[in-house]
Amino acid sequence: MNWLGWLHDFFADPAHRSGPDSVVHRVLEHLAFSAEALGLAVLVALPLGLLIGYSGRGLFVVTALAGVARALPTLGLVTLAVLLAGVGDAAVLLPLTALAAPPVLVAAAEGVRGTDPDVRDAARGIGLTHPQTLLRVCVPAAAPTLLAGLRTASVQVIATATVAAYVGLGGLGRYVIDGLATRNYPTTVGGALLVVLLAVAVQLLFALLIRLAAPPGTRTRARRAGRTGRTEEPVPVDDPASPPALVKETP
Amino acid sequence: MLDGEPLVRWRWLGDHFGYLADLTADHAVIALVPVLLALLLAVPLGLACARFPRMYQPLAAVFNVVYALPSLAVFVVLIPYTGLATRETVMVPLTCYALAVLLPTAVDGLRAVPEPVRQAATAMGYGPWRRLAAVELPASVPYLIGGLRVAAVSSISLAAVGALVGRGGLGYLFVDGFQRTFPTPILAGIALVALLALATDLLLVAARRVLAPWARGVAR
Amino acid sequence: MIRFEGAAKRHPDGTVAVRGLDLDVPAGRTTVLVGPSGCGKTTILRMVNRMVVPTAGRVLLDGADVASLPAARLRRGIGYVIQQAGLFPHRRVIDNVATVPRLLGWDRKRARARAAELLELVGLPPETARRYPAQLSGGQQQRVGVARALAADPPVLLMDEPFSAVDPLVRAGLQEELLRLQAELGKTVLFVTHDIEEAVRLGDRVVVLREHGEIAQLADPHTLLTAPADAGVAAFLGRDRGLRGLGLRPAGAVPLAALRPSYDAWELVLDQEGRPEHWRRGGERHPAPVFAPDRDSLRSALDAALLAPSGHAVAVDAEGRAVGTASRAAVVEALAAAGPVPGQVPHAGR
Repeated sequence: MNWLGWLHDFFADPAHRSGPDSVVHRVLEHLAFSAEALGLAVLVALPLGLLIGYSGRGLFVVTALAGVARALPTLGLVTLAVLLAGVGDAAVLLPLTALAAPPVLVAAAEGVRGTDPDVRDAARGIGLTHPQTLLRVCVPAAAPTLLAGLRTASVQVIATATVAAYVGLGGLGRYVIDGLATRNYPTTVGGALLVVLLAVAVQLLFALLIRLAAPPGTRTRARRAGRTGRTEEPVPVDDPASPPALVKETP
Repeated sequence: MLDGEPLVRWRWLGDHFGYLADLTADHAVIALVPVLLALLLAVPLGLACARFPRMYQPLAAVFNVVYALPSLAVFVVLIPYTGLATRETVMVPLTCYALAVLLPTAVDGLRAVPEPVRQAATAMGYGPWRRLAAVELPASVPYLIGGLRVAAVSSISLAAVGALVGRGGLGYLFVDGFQRTFPTPILAGIALVALLALATDLLLVAARRVLAPWARGVAR
Repeated sequence: MIRFEGAAKRHPDGTVAVRGLDLDVPAGRTTVLVGPSGCGKTTILRMVNRMVVPTAGRVLLDGADVASLPAARLRRGIGYVIQQAGLFPHRRVIDNVATVPRLLGWDRKRARARAAELLELVGLPPETARRYPAQLSGGQQQRVGVARALAADPPVLLMDEPFSAVDPLVRAGLQEELLRLQAELGKTVLFVTHDIEEAVRLGDRVVVLREHGEIAQLADPHTLLTAPADAGVAAFLGRDRGLRGLGLRPAGAVPLAALRPSYDAWELVLDQEGRPEHWRRGGERHPAPVFAPDRDSLRSALDAALLAPSGHAVAVDAEGRAVGTASRAAVVEALAAAGPVPGQVPHAGR
């Protein structure tokens, strides 16, 4: 149990210094793939979530969906996708995007929904159209909640991308999986450490963004919403068909 | 690619009924014992945080970070201490994740008691600790159960990742199915994980009805 | 008895809530603290059960400094009712009421029996006992709050705007109930309100406060209404304090006339028990306003006489049976006999 020794072995390995298995390359792979999945999820879920939140229709479906998504095992989805669609990044992208979308969807819907109705009313009263009200009033007000949802989605994506190395995806998960397969513990530990650092760095980045996006006075709430992916005070829900309105957050 | 292999071989499911039941039971233990442990830790910690609010910020910050750590990375880091393919390797991190959900809900629930209620309790002669135990804690039960629902469902889905370090209950079906290019166990695994999550969730909803009947239709 | 001796409260930021109060609250009576918001009345109240600790001076309860008793024990002997009732959401009504007896170590059965008694005392039907607070109306919750405060039979009752959050009709009912309870129980009640009407109605003594808990006037309600200490108090009392003063005079002074078959074409219709049903003239019907000479005030009598289409208020006994009538003139006669209504307001600079 010699951490320094393992880490030294890991970073001293020439293969980890340059080439396709280098640390820099693996980090960039991991980031690029995660960003791709997150971007796709946002592209689909954000507009839908905003519309659902603004109209107030379908909120129930969104919450139920998020609950179901939370119950699905990521490893199962990833292995199934590869068996059905063949080895390759595209096959893994689908489940990853599908797992990242619910938090974004819920955050967008709840964020817009949570805008003070009086403020919305006032905006309509001074002559803003519906799209103007949504984009200029509701979206800025929902920004902290939205970012908290994105942060939850990013936790999800980075973790799942690590697991997806098992079915052949690149990125930092490669070290972990390959190290486990070859009983090369330094490689495994080095990879795990890098994944942890990457996840923490991304979280800090989001924490900073949330802080910047929150108007003074709303900071505490945004931070707390971010912590557990919660977008509202934790209201106990009594209906088995609609699990708590908490976005899926799989570390 | 499946090369003519059907999506589900129903015979396999029938033949392996006992095996699937064993895996499900193992999965339930691996996933849910940590949630119970986390609950046992979250209640005293939450009470302490409610009594001494300064404790809460740093603790929350720590669990905030813990929650963001990818599970696979944490599992492998623990291997030298708890061993490969042992329950502990998976259960220790799952306890931390569940605690990261339950501590904030516990604290929020304890704080959700309206100020007049607190005042009335104090005026009737409750000391700070006694009031926490007799008033705030029972009143926070619906919140705690709300937190338990999230923690339990997440824990059940996360435990499957443990298969990659040799102990993942139903997660083993994913590894097995993938290695043999055999989708039936994978689909069975996904379905059983989801069913276990649903059953646990329903159980917790029922528990709420029994333990906090006063909150029905009130704290919605 | 509660005695304040130079009791003062200064907040850590330097603002003064109460500058230094000397006040005796007599035992077995209702003393009302009334004043505008921010006058320190709640602070004063909370000094008694040590929810607020004075920064100077002291508060004595039956001669003992409240600071000398353990807070929890002190508080278990003092009933406390607040505006939002503050009922425990997770306990049934009966267990809410049984709280203090249980804290005092009574067994569950005895505490519940006592709680059931109290629910009856405050006028709640027995089936409310099994309910949870959220299933009750605001007025019912407030009744439970009062029952809970009385459960351990504390000699002292502190009430902080207990009826402010309920609607006027319910409030009137609750005030009525409190008067009835107090007549029965004779507690030492210290009651805080910002509503002068309520103060005059409920208080044996009324303490009008201005800023920093300074006493502007301490008087019985009648004196307060008829002889306010200064223009400030008069302004606080409002414009129709003379009329309100009538509310404090018994209607017994009104001379009653025997019932007659008709009053200028109006006929008083009674039911079989002899209770007034309505006034009738031809096909026209109007309600018959009544007053009870032994319970109601001159104000009620005047009100009934003014509202009756015939100009005659109907006097009723405790069972609601008509015992006589009083014309407007008769009521005014009683008014005149009652002596001076509101005196002049002394000039502020006197």
